Order: sequence, then C-alpha cells, then structure tokens
Amino acid sequence: MTILDAEQGPIDEGLFDPPAGDERGTSLWQGAFRRLRRNPSAIVGAVIVVAFVLVAIFAPVLAPYEPAGTQWISQVTPSSVPGPSPGHLLGLDSFGSDMLTQLIYGARQSLIIGVVSTTIGLLGGAVLGLIAGGLGGWWDTGVMRIVDILLSIPSLLLAVSIAAVMGRNPFAIMIAIGAAQVPIFARLLRGSMLGQRRQDYVLAATSLGLRQRRIVMSHVLPNSLGPVIVQATLVLATAIIEVAALSYLGLGSADPAIAEWGRMLVKAQDRLQSDPRLAILPGICIAITALGFTLFGEALREALDPKSRR
Amino acid sequence: MSDQTIAAGERAVTRSRTRPEANRDENLLEVEDLSVSFVRRGAQPVRAVDGVSFVVRPGQIVGIVGESGSGKSVTSLAVMGLLPQRGVVASGQIRYRGQDLLTLGAKKLSDLRGREIAMVFQDPMSSLNPVIPIGTQVTEVLLRHFDVSRGEARAEAEHLLRRVGIPDPGRRLKEYPHQLSGGMRQRALIAIALACKPALLICDEPTTALDVTIQAQVLELLKELVNDLDTAMVMITHDLGVVAGLCDFVNVMYAGRVVESAPRHELFAHPRHRYTEGLLASMPRLDHPRTEPLRPIRGTPRDIVSWTKACAFAPRCDHADEACMSPDLELVLDGPGEHRMRCVHPAPLASDVADDD
Amino acid sequence: MTEGADKVAGEPAKLLEVTGLEVHFPIRRGVVIDRTVGHVRAVDGVDLSVGRGQTFGLVGESGCGKSTLGRAILRLEQPTAGRVVFDGQDVASLKAEPLRRLRRRMQMVFQDPLSSLNPRQSVESLLTEPLRVHGLSAEDLQTYGKDSARAHAAKAAAMLEVVGLPGSSMSRYPHEFSGGQRQRVGIARAIVLNPDLVIADEPVSALDVSVQAQVINLLEDLQKLLGLTYLVIAHDLAVVRHISDTVGVMYLGRLAEVASSDDLYERPLHPYTIALMSAIPIPDPEIEDARERILLPGDLPSPANPPSGCRFHTRCPFRQPTRCHDEEPELREIPDLAAGRQVACHWASEIASGAVGVAEPELLVEPTSS
Repeated sequence: MTILDAEQGPIDEGLFDPPAGDERGTSLWQGAFRRLRRNPSAIVGAVIVVAFVLVAIFAPVLAPYEPAGTQWISQVTPSSVPGPSPGHLLGLDSFGSDMLTQLIYGARQSLIIGVVSTTIGLLGGAVLGLIAGGLGGWWDTGVMRIVDILLSIPSLLLAVSIAAVMGRNPFAIMIAIGAAQVPIFARLLRGSMLGQRRQDYVLAATSLGLRQRRIVMSHVLPNSLGPVIVQATLVLATAIIEVAALSYLGLGSADPAIAEWGRMLVKAQDRLQSDPRLAILPGICIAITALGFTLFGEALREALDPKSRR
Repeated sequence: MSDQTIAAGERAVTRSRTRPEANRDENLLEVEDLSVSFVRRGAQPVRAVDGVSFVVRPGQIVGIVGESGSGKSVTSLAVMGLLPQRGVVASGQIRYRGQDLLTLGAKKLSDLRGREIAMVFQDPMSSLNPVIPIGTQVTEVLLRHFDVSRGEARAEAEHLLRRVGIPDPGRRLKEYPHQLSGGMRQRALIAIALACKPALLICDEPTTALDVTIQAQVLELLKELVNDLDTAMVMITHDLGVVAGLCDFVNVMYAGRVVESAPRHELFAHPRHRYTEGLLASMPRLDHPRTEPLRPIRGTPRDIVSWTKACAFAPRCDHADEACMSPDLELVLDGPGEHRMRCVHPAPLASDVADDD
Repeated sequence: MTEGADKVAGEPAKLLEVTGLEVHFPIRRGVVIDRTVGHVRAVDGVDLSVGRGQTFGLVGESGCGKSTLGRAILRLEQPTAGRVVFDGQDVASLKAEPLRRLRRRMQMVFQDPLSSLNPRQSVESLLTEPLRVHGLSAEDLQTYGKDSARAHAAKAAAMLEVVGLPGSSMSRYPHEFSGGQRQRVGIARAIVLNPDLVIADEPVSALDVSVQAQVINLLEDLQKLLGLTYLVIAHDLAVVRHISDTVGVMYLGRLAEVASSDDLYERPLHPYTIALMSAIPIPDPEIEDARERILLPGDLPSPANPPSGCRFHTRCPFRQPTRCHDEEPELREIPDLAAGRQVACHWASEIASGAVGVAEPELLVEPTSS
C-alpha cells in the first residue's frame, strides 16, 4: 500500500505539460508487448517457440532424408541400432530411419496436434464461457453445471474414451486432447468476465445506453481475454506432452509413416537398455518445446498483468 | 463511553514502565537527512524521500502532511524499519533515543518495534490478520515483549479493548477482524499498537478509510490516549483539517522534501510556502463563505522537476520565475517558533489567511 | 410519504422528481438452491426533486445508500418501489428500449475514473462511443454536420477542450493520465451527448487534495456553460456545500434533512446533521480548538435490520424517552421553525430552541482552549 506512494508519482523530469509530446498513446496490448520484450525468459521462450515452428514448417527442407525411409533397416540388429555417423548425425532409429529426419518431421506433427487440439479446447471453452459469463442467470448456472460434470471426468479417461470411440485416427487424438481442455477454458473465461463485469466501466457503458450485447462483446470480452490467452500457450505445452502420453498408450495415429515424438518414445522402450539414445532424443525435444511454450506463457501472464509480479 | 474507558485506562497505565524515564528536553526521535530511493530493474532510481529531517520530543504530536508521491508514507516506513530489503537504498540517520535505527540489527530493531515504537496503518482490514482472533493479535504483542502469563496477557488485552472504546471486550476478543466494523477494527489496531505503551506511535492515515463521524471518534480517542499515556505521535495524513486539530508541529512535504515546517497555529495563520498556501486556498471550507471561489493549484502532483534542478513545485506555482530554477533550495528559518520553509517567493506575512471571526 | 415532496415550494420546472423510492437487495443463502432470507434496505423511501439547472447535493456516510440512490435514479439498479420522474417520464417503469434512448439525457460521473474507463479504449474511442450509439444531438448536427466518424471526432475534440485536456490526449489511453486528468476524461464522456442531468458519484474523493478544486471548478463551469442539472453524491460536506444549491442528508436509506445549502450549514436542524457538521475537521487550529464537538456513539446499524422508530435513535445524542424509538418521523417542513426546508426529527423545534439538549454529557467534547 505504502510503496505505491513512491511508484504512483514517478519523478519525470521536466514533465511540465502532461501528457507531453505528440507521440501516440500506448494501449494496454502495446504496453504488454513492451514488457514482454524486456523480459529475458520471454525472449528465451519465444526463441524456442519460433525455432520449433520454423522446424515444423520447413521440415522438408531441413531434413536430410525423406521421412519414414526404412532403407537402412538392414543395419539394425535385434541387439543394436547404429549410432551417430557422418551420414546420420543422430544415428538411426529402430525402424532403420534417420533419427534427425524423424525428429524434424515429428516437430511438424506435434505442432499440428498441439495447435489444433488447443484451438478445439479454446473455441469450445470460449463459447461455453461466453454464454455463462455473458448471459448470466440461468444460462450461467446451467452451463457451469455441465462444465462441472466435464471437469469431474479425469481428462486422460475422457481422451481415451474419445479416441476409443473414434478409432485410431489422427483427429481423434486432437479432439480428445482438446475436449479435455474445454471445461478449463470455460471456467477461466467465465471467471474473468464476471470479474470484469463488476468494474465501473461496465456500469458506465450501461449508463451511456449501450446495448447489452455490445457491452459484453466489445467491452467485457476483450478485457477478459488475457488469462485465456496465457492459458492457451500453457495448454499448447501440455497438449504436446499429452500427445506423447496417448501415443504411449497406443492411441496415437495408426500410420507408422508419420513420425511423432510420443510414438518414438514408445518404440524406444524395448531398447532402453542397449540404446537409451532412442528415448532420450525425442524426450529432449518434447521437454524443450514444452519449456519454450511454458516460459513464453508465464512471461505473457506477467506482461498482461504487471501487478501479479510481486 | 469515556467514564468507563478512562477508568480502565488508569488501570492499564499502572503497569510499570521499564524503559528509562522520558527526559522532556531530550529528543525522542531525530530524523536527519533521511533519503530513500527505490531502484527498479531497467529504470532510473526513484528518490521517494530526499533529505528529510525532523524531531519528535516526548509527548509531542508531529504531523507530516502531503499528497500522493510526497514521500510521507515512505518516511514512516523507514522509521519503523519496514522498507523492503530489496531495491531500496536509504541514507541519513533515524535516531531513536540516540540509537540509529537504519544501522540497528534486525533483532534489536524488532525488540524496539511494538515495544517502544508502534504503528497504526490506514487500512485496518489488511493490517489485521484475518484468520486470527482479535484477542490473540493483542496478546501476542504482550507475550512477545513482556514476561507475562497467558492469563495476564488476556486480562490486559481486555483492558486495552475497553480502553479504546470497544464495547463488550470479553466477547470481542474471540472475534475475527471481519466481524468488526471499520471503526472497531481501527480501534482494535490502536489497542494492539498501544499494548506495550510505546513511547512513540506512528499513525499512517489512520482515519482516511473511515467515515467522518467515526473519524471524529478515533481522533478523539488518539488525542485522549496520547495525553494519558504521554506517548509521542507522528501523524501522517493528507488532510490539513486533521492536522489543524491535532498536531503540535507540522511538516509539509512535497516531492520527497519538507517544504515548510512550523507549529500548527503559526503554520495555519501564516502559511509561507506557496504549496501550503495553495492547498489551503484550494479546499472548500465550512468556515468560509460558500460562494468564495476555490483557487486550485494547477497541474497534478506528478508534474514535478527534480529538486537538484529547481524548486519541485515551480511547474505548478503561480509565483515561479527564474529565481526558482536554482538547484537544492534551502529550508530556511523564517518566522517564530522554528517556522522554516523552502521557497524563493514566500507568501507575504501580511496576508492573514486565517482571518476568521 | 409523498406529501413532503409536494410541499417544497419554489422553482417552477422540476427536471427530476423522485417519490417513495426504495431499493431493497435480497440476502440469499442456501447450499444448492438460494433462499431469500431478508433484504438490505439500501434505499428505503426517498423523496427528492431537483429543479432544472440546479444542483442537489446528497451527503451521507458509507452504507447510507446514497450511491444506490444515484444508480437507481439512472436505473442502473432496479428500484423495488417508487417513481423516478425525469422530465415527465417515469424512468422506474420505462421499457428497455425507450430507457436506452432516454439515457443520452442522463449521464453519470463515477468516483474512480480508472475503473470507470475501459482500459483498452483510447480517449477518442471513449468519447465517440456514446455518439456512435445515440448519434449527435439536434444542435450538434447543425454544428458538426450529419453523423459520421469525422463529425463525432470533431465533437469529441471539442469536449476535450472544454474539460481542459490537450488535443494530443485523443490517442492516449486511460492509464497514461493522472487521476485528475482521467476524471476530466470521464466528465467529457458524460457531457458528449449533451445530457440534461448529470449524476456525479463522489467525483473528487479519489483525487489528490490539490487537484480536487480543479475538478469542482470544472463541474461548476460546465454547469454554467451547458445549463446542466446536477445530482452530486459525496461524503465530504465541504465539497457538497460548495457545489450545491440544495443539500439532502441521508442516513440509513432515508433522508434526514433537506435544506438549501446555506440554511443547512448555518443552522443544521437534524441531530445527525448537527453531529456530522461538528465532526468535520476544519483546517484552522483556532476554530478547531474553540469548537464544541458532538461525538456519535457506535456504528451505523445494519440496513438489513434498521432500528424501529427513528432510524437514528440508537446513536442520537438528543434521544428522548418518547416517540424516538417507536414512531418513525416524517420528512416534513416545520413552518414555525424554518420555512422551505424539511427535517425528519420529532424534536427538531425543541432542539433548535435549546429545550432539548445532548442527553449524555460525555458525547460532548468541550473546546480544548480555555
């Protein structure tokens, strides 16, 4: 409370005529971007995320070989897989494909699954949250009870059931992961909107004669999005890990030609003793990517809400 | 209420004081050239308090008046040793009975805090622990600083609550802060602060969060307690009205420095610094004709220049000229009763602002 | 209840007439299904009227219902009972769409300018939004031409100048201003539709002392310039007295006293007003030392369960053994005592004449100076 005393009155030298100068004002988004740029962990997170996205997009250019090429299968013996060599910088995998190529194409797969499943969760949750937080009353009670029921189902169980119903289809896994996130996004957006609705500016908008729909959509909603955006970046990280988990449980894509980090981990199981490299490399990829999204998400949280920092 | 409370108060003060008897001529607290800067990552350090000096004699009530950003609250936190450890640079001296609190060890400081120097904050809700009963919050201070049994501490806590005018203190002791009204919470906070009969009480905007009629109750209570216990008080406030009725000596702060200091009668009768004068002229007053126009100070407390370049108030002052642009103006003695001010063009003495019937 | 209001003599055109207004909030408790277990009577039967071009000041302490009353008049809270007649139309019973269109004529200035301005809107967007919703007023159409983004921006720029902000503020955002400047933005937004009535809820209490006077003066200047009618709600009696023609003192959901500003401060009649006035610190040590102060014992009773009889009797220093605790006093004019003002106290005449004094002497704080 009292430290504010010092912070509220920054001693701006020579600020005779505020607001001084002709420069344009800084909106909250611009201000958040500035804070983000000054935060080292945001930079690190952003570098990892950008690198990951670039690798995923330019996989065909970066990868030394075609994906899922099993032309070196003859070199793989039941007891050993060839390690790094000049031709294969990271060695081969247990199917006789080039490890580096598989990892690069795996990034692509992880990105698609992460983005699509997060989008499913975000959109589904946003719609429910908007109905609950925007309409209020019985709508709110009804929607939130449904969300409570969804929340009470363990997310992995939900994902497994959806994948089981839809079969081993690449979309199943995305829908499964996304659906598990719907109640979380819904709660978050609703809570954030309810908090904003108590602000005086909503009352001011009503007193100005704005229509309820406009107040919700163009005043309450934009101010409530911050925590949702942060959550989305964090969910991207967990989605990538969950894909790995579901693949590990054998629910991933059925097509062995599609490289995917989670399945690479699974396949490495039986050779963990002799060739730990097979598990460690995709593991590192998953960890670093998740770390990148998490760092960036946390930094975004701080940037959007500078007060949360202390 | 007062019959009862005064009787209880007499009982409460009978507990013998273990600290040295106050010497009337000796200064209890001497703040000398206190500066506090906040250092933040990637930003210029902000000097919140800049060379502040004042003294408090035993039993005296000293007021520190200022607006947001004037450094008044930071000054009080510095005296209490409650500034955050990180990102703060403090210099100068805060001598309490000759000991410099700024260099005193944490252990010794915490022995002094609560026992000899106590503080009352603005917001009684956030300064009371919400999950601990009021009674425990009072007794824990007593148990910390005195060699008393739990039973004795409890009895004393009950006396204290009664003393500050909380009805039915036996029951209130078991209650939690949220069960009390704002005024009652502030009384409870005062009871905690006065539990050890401190020699110095620091009040940071103690009545700002309260309604006028409750404010009157609390101010009356503080006056009474300070009188009975012979406690000295530093009163930090933005309200010149509160200062006028309470303080013996007043320091007016602006942008981290004291711009004027005087005994209260002298200050309100002859405000010399243009900021003090401007504040008084800008307030709507019940004792002035209703139609008298308000003469606001222009700009905002954020429009300041660095004291190292000019008078910080110059951008808002109607009397500012080239002469005000000299660096580090002195706080000069000018007028009776140690009336000091830091102004190049002070208000002439002839203008008698307090010219009322 | 309505007789009192009708008796207010004087000005011909009343822009706002409130009669018997009540706002009760249900107190709900329950595990699965909420049950209503009682009501908070935030506003409990208020009559007041404001003449065109006049300023009505509403004072009272926190919890007295003054803010709720202001919001109920604008129907930002739904009144439980009573009428709010604004220029001939009953706002309290108006349907949604006509109410929405009427809103352009009654605006509000909020206490905390930071929370009442959407942090993501630039000043330009804040000021033009009401115009986008309602369009320019008839006289503005002549000045600025027909509704267009350019005309709206021109009107917004004019308002910005009226409230004393530089044109460069247009592209800035609320967090970039100081408290006083933000309040100017809030005021500019309130007047951009050329309203008739502006309700200002604690317009200066969040501001620094040195800035308060600027905003008070601005409100007064705008009233002269635009012929506005004000309802100013504040806890600071000095501010209310300065700005208002008529002042209503509120206690626990009801008006205790209504009088012209000068009369009220010269001679408060209701014991609550008397105590309230004596509690206000005055920045003059001579006066502070010489004045007699009446302390009110205890705290505000709960508005969920107001005391029987006179609501103030539990804290009243002048309480009498009869009537006070079992008979609710009407807000009425006492012609023998003071014409043209109303007070809700059984003993107002006796208190004024000195026949009834402070019952408990310890509530009286004698002057400190001899």
